[in-house]
Amino acid sequence: MTPNDYTMLSARFGRSDGHKLAVYEAEGGYRALRKVLQDGMSREEVREEVKGAGLRGRGGAGFPTGVKWGFVPPDADEIYFFVNADESEPGTFKDRYLLDYDPHQTIEGTIISCFAVKAKLAFIYIRGEFGWLVDRVQKAVDEAYAAGYLGKDILGSGYDLEMIVHKGAGAYICGEETGLINSVTGRKGQPSIKPPFPAVQGFLDKPTIVNNVESVASVPFIINEGAAAYKAFGTEKSCGTKLFSVSGPVKRPGVYEIPLGLPFREFFNDWLGGMAEGEKLKAVIVGGSSVPVLPAEEIMNTNLDYESLGEAGTMLGSGGMIVIPESCDMVELIQVLMHFYFDESCGQCTPCREGTGWLHRIVKRLRGGGGTPEDLDLLEHVCDGMAGLTICPLADAAVMPMRSFLDKFRPEFEALIQETAAAAPTSRWPRGEQE
Amino acid sequence: MAKVTIDGQEMEFAEGTRLFDACAEARGEALPHFCYHPDLSVAGVCRLCQVEVEGMPKLTIACNTFVRDGMVVHTRNEKVRKAARQILEMHLVNHPVDCPICDQAGECGLQNQYMTYGLYESEVEQADKVNKAKAEVIGPHVILDKERCVLCSRCVRFCEEVTKTGEMGIFNRGDRAEIGVAPGTELANEYSLNTVDICPVGALTSRDFRFQKRVWMLKSTPGVCPGCATGCNVRIDHEAGRIFRLKPRRNDEVNGPWMCDRGRMVYKDVHDEDRLTTPLLRGEAVAWADVEEDLARLLAFGSVGLAVGSARATLEENFLLKRLAERLGAGEMSGGLRDADRGVGDDILQDADRAPNRRGLEILDLAEHDAVTLAGRIGNASGTILLLGGDPAAAPEVAAALQGKDVVFVGTHAGATAALAQVVLPGAAWAETAGVFVNRQGRLQDFPQAIARPDRARETWRILVERLAAAGEDTPPASLRTVRLLLTEAHGLPDLNSLPAVGSVPAAGGAD
Ligand SMILES: Cc1cc2nc3c(=O)[nH]c(=O)nc-3n(C[C@H](O)[C@H](O)[C@H](O)COP(=O)(O)O)c2cc1C
Ligand code: SF4
Ligand code: SF4
Ligand code: SF4
Ligand code: FES
Repeated sequence: MTPNDYTMLSARFGRSDGHKLAVYEAEGGYRALRKVLQDGMSREEVREEVKGAGLRGRGGAGFPTGVKWGFVPPDADEIYFFVNADESEPGTFKDRYLLDYDPHQTIEGTIISCFAVKAKLAFIYIRGEFGWLVDRVQKAVDEAYAAGYLGKDILGSGYDLEMIVHKGAGAYICGEETGLINSVTGRKGQPSIKPPFPAVQGFLDKPTIVNNVESVASVPFIINEGAAAYKAFGTEKSCGTKLFSVSGPVKRPGVYEIPLGLPFREFFNDWLGGMAEGEKLKAVIVGGSSVPVLPAEEIMNTNLDYESLGEAGTMLGSGGMIVIPESCDMVELIQVLMHFYFDESCGQCTPCREGTGWLHRIVKRLRGGGGTPEDLDLLEHVCDGMAGLTICPLADAAVMPMRSFLDKFRPEFEALIQETAAAAPTSRWPRGEQE
Repeated sequence: MAKVTIDGQEMEFAEGTRLFDACAEARGEALPHFCYHPDLSVAGVCRLCQVEVEGMPKLTIACNTFVRDGMVVHTRNEKVRKAARQILEMHLVNHPVDCPICDQAGECGLQNQYMTYGLYESEVEQADKVNKAKAEVIGPHVILDKERCVLCSRCVRFCEEVTKTGEMGIFNRGDRAEIGVAPGTELANEYSLNTVDICPVGALTSRDFRFQKRVWMLKSTPGVCPGCATGCNVRIDHEAGRIFRLKPRRNDEVNGPWMCDRGRMVYKDVHDEDRLTTPLLRGEAVAWADVEEDLARLLAFGSVGLAVGSARATLEENFLLKRLAERLGAGEMSGGLRDADRGVGDDILQDADRAPNRRGLEILDLAEHDAVTLAGRIGNASGTILLLGGDPAAAPEVAAALQGKDVVFVGTHAGATAALAQVVLPGAAWAETAGVFVNRQGRLQDFPQAIARPDRARETWRILVERLAAAGEDTPPASLRTVRLLLTEAHGLPDLNSLPAVGSVPAAGGAD
């Protein structure tokens, strides 16, 4: 297998013209939409096809997409759809590829998804820092309107759909689906308590579906080729292909589309070309910064699918793969991560608000030379008081890396504490002063 | 009905019961909590009310969960206690712990939980707490200490959901999040002091009450606010004859858990400089014995031309006035000034009728009159004008009509009426007597006496009973209890001596 064998999602990646409607149409684009709207597929048929394909949400939680669509109350008549392009998880940069190189694929997938849940208005919520993407996607949406794929009576089917491209203001927490909805509504960008779940009561208190970019981008293929063709890729429970965004000192970092179940070893050696010259693999954070880290020897024997990674003690998450070289100081790395969660916690739940700050300060103190052996127990203790006790999983997202770093790389923490009696290390990352 | 097992105890609850309430019932005390408030939306942010529901992978917050048939819940096991302890500890990480100078001390949620969970040796480090602003005046009544805030968002939800004025907000995020008022505004809605009540810690405190008293020194007596026709149920907190504050007392039929800011301040009237504290004979302060002679003359049989009641007086006081007038053969009665005590109402609690007992006058068939009509009736009356309560002569027409008349005034405050009267008898202010007010719904609400009367002032009902005796009533009622029995009988009312806690609205046309 080689990278070029899998182009369900990534056919136009890296090309300069793939974002244009004409190019997308010439390569079979909007065929799935015609199939649904002109060949008269029913909403149920679309939902069943997606369910049958085993597509799982690509935003991180991996919840089956078709099943989620089924949660919309059948008698609802005002339904909203949000495409989540907030992509702010450190290490994750796949959705921006999809929107940058191939916006029409996501737009087509969104229109079909909206049809399946009977939504009349869709938002594409784009991370605030992705300014250029907003323009690119807006242009593509304008093209789609002009071509009759959006607006009133799409393709003569009687189905109406409006689409709004919305630019976020740059908060990680607005990627959480209820935080996203709140921020679009003009409220403080922070998650709401569940239940009610958005599929029942979301935007303007109406049923609302939130899906990741990659999830909806997978829909046209499933409609065109059928659930069976989709399931031909991947494993029994982890179906289809998945984008991984790989960063770190490997020979060929970037965004890859892989069939789920691909052994990491093969991916690492053959696709990524192994480590860059002079670097040695130390560990991998496989699914975005919020999942537990795996040391080299553990990840090397793991396959890249939901179940295998779960068994290995981590998660597939968003597919934001951070490759960590031997030369990396793990305490410094966790300081970067803990600062991130401390900075991004919305602050409404006590354990997360106080816990992220506490973790950040302890780690900063360690790095600043003021650590004691008891601090490591204190870190564990703070993690205990956060995990599973909050409204949204951001608290767990901070706890999982923290705990796994302590668990897998404790000697580095202990060594630092011992050394610091002698001399405080100088940070290559002097952000501690910024808060 | 749903069968739920809580801490091993099987109980039945109505479908739709909040697990939080079910647990409170089963345990005999509420779960630890800061953010949940039964009259506000659920925020689920403090995370203190976590319980274990068998079959659920994680602990669940009880405030956002509803009972299900067959649910098995644990609220006191090790897992739950550990979580509560840990979360409480999180609450304390950045808390200033300045209880010695905090008004909330003694009724603070944080202190209470802390004691319950015994966090004496917690791992909380004191070194680098987040510091925030202290003692910031945020409105006419409320002062804010941001450091003490536990960010429960109750005050924010109150201003959004109850007053719909939205002044309060939580600004910034993470552990930099802090409570405050929106830039350029202040917490100036007419219900702002309710935020002080619902604030579980000492972050929001009353400017009026600030540093006045340690709360454990106060005695509390239930009362009914005399500020308007709504008749909010209150708690009068007092010590040594002085009222220090009013707090709302829950009555879901009347005021829920709230009251207005104006109502909170009515207690100041009780301790006003203008209080009548001694009988006055033609303007001179005298002893009670010194007015007897004049009263005997002015209130002799057939000598009273007009008796005027008041929507500010209690049901019993107006009843006794009417009885006295009848016994004295007074020709005319009035309920008082129809236009006195009027203001602007709202759709929350405040009524435009600022008197507490206008509907009580209706029960006694005492019609009120406008100033011109009342002045006319005074002018036409021959004999003594007997006035009860309020300050009717504040209306110029009434004052003019009273000139040159024999006037006896039973009241609480000096003013135009007291200045005109030959005899002034100092009565009891609302907190100094027991009584019944009839609110705008027609609800009879009784209240006990909270504090002693100043100096020589007496209970108004006793003053009137004494006049009844003087007027020759054989067995004048010797206690308020007897007065109420007479009242109940005479007007077909529910038993005023055993009104239910929420008060009672008699069915139209008779007793219920
Ligand atoms: C803190 C936080 C940040 C998140 N950020 C994103 C994001 O940037 N993009 C995304 O698709 N999902 C994000 N999620 C997950 C969403 O809440 C939601 O599960 C997802 O958008 C659902 O789409 P899917 O079912 O297609 O995966 C985030 C969740 C959390 C808790
Ligand atoms: S867990 Fe953290 S980020 Fe999520 S809602 Fe609670 S405070 Fe906000
Ligand atoms: S000020 Fe009081 S009521 Fe308001 S959020 Fe803070 S603790 Fe809660
Ligand atoms: S609304 Fe009326 S009765 Fe209630 S507190 Fe205010 S003044 Fe008193
Ligand atoms: S009381 Fe339930 S979370 Fe605060």
